[in-house]
Amino acid sequence: MSMVYINIFLAFTLSFMGLLIYRSHLMSSLLCLEGMMLSLFIMMTVTILVNHFTLASMAPIVLLVFAACEAALGLSLLVMVSNTYGTDYVQNLNLLQC
Amino acid sequence: MMTYIVFILSVIFVVSFVGFSSKPSPIYGGLVLIVSGAVGCGIVLSFGGSFLGLMVFLTYLGGMLVVFGYTTAMATEQYPEVWVSNKAVLACLLSELLTACHILKGDDIEVEVVLKFNGAGDWVIYDTGDSGFFSEEAMGIAALYSYGTWLVIVTGWSLLIGVLVIMEVTRGN
Repeated sequence: MSMVYINIFLAFTLSFMGLLIYRSHLMSSLLCLEGMMLSLFIMMTVTILVNHFTLASMAPIVLLVFAACEAALGLSLLVMVSNTYGTDYVQNLNLLQC
Repeated sequence: MMTYIVFILSVIFVVSFVGFSSKPSPIYGGLVLIVSGAVGCGIVLSFGGSFLGLMVFLTYLGGMLVVFGYTTAMATEQYPEVWVSNKAVLACLLSELLTACHILKGDDIEVEVVLKFNGAGDWVIYDTGDSGFFSEEAMGIAALYSYGTWLVIVTGWSLLIGVLVIMEVTRGN
């Protein structure tokens, strides 16, 4: 495999770690989710273009469309949290705490 | 240097991913995500996929990130914080630059993590056969409507259900 893949794997791993480690905003985790989708799209597109998988070229578009839908759902949840608590701080989501 | 342009673009890709994964305020994270989307589009374009690069700009940056931008402006009103002296950011940047320098130093570099990465064929795209006068990538996407009719129907239906779910979530109680 070519050397570009190392960096794209590294980018996916970085945004995955960023998704799992919270700081204060819920919005930053949603942005890391979008970063994961972008790195997956780039990886899929580069593989398809290098290997000339012509018919698989529709797969990145379908991935992008479903990533947009998922982003919209995440944003609607964030808007509901922000309507209830005023901001989107993660420490507000503590109803299950003892 | 021009033969390694794709690798340098992917290094800038990883650096901008570090920029928003270290989670400054969401506004700055969104700005850096725009930059990384543009660099990713450059990577796709240098492999010859012009339509898919356009898709990144239209759908991803123009659609999704605009929505993220105004949701951030609406939902988080306070003083945004910049990248303070974050040691994790520095460690990630340093490791990435070390990897890039090691790879760019010479030819015939081979790295094995789980798979074998070989930089030998990096500056050439294997072209087996004549593709005529059409771009085969755009033809592959156009096949979405001939071979992929059922895919379009299922995708459209599930997106409609997704929109209804979002409307129910936003309606709340």
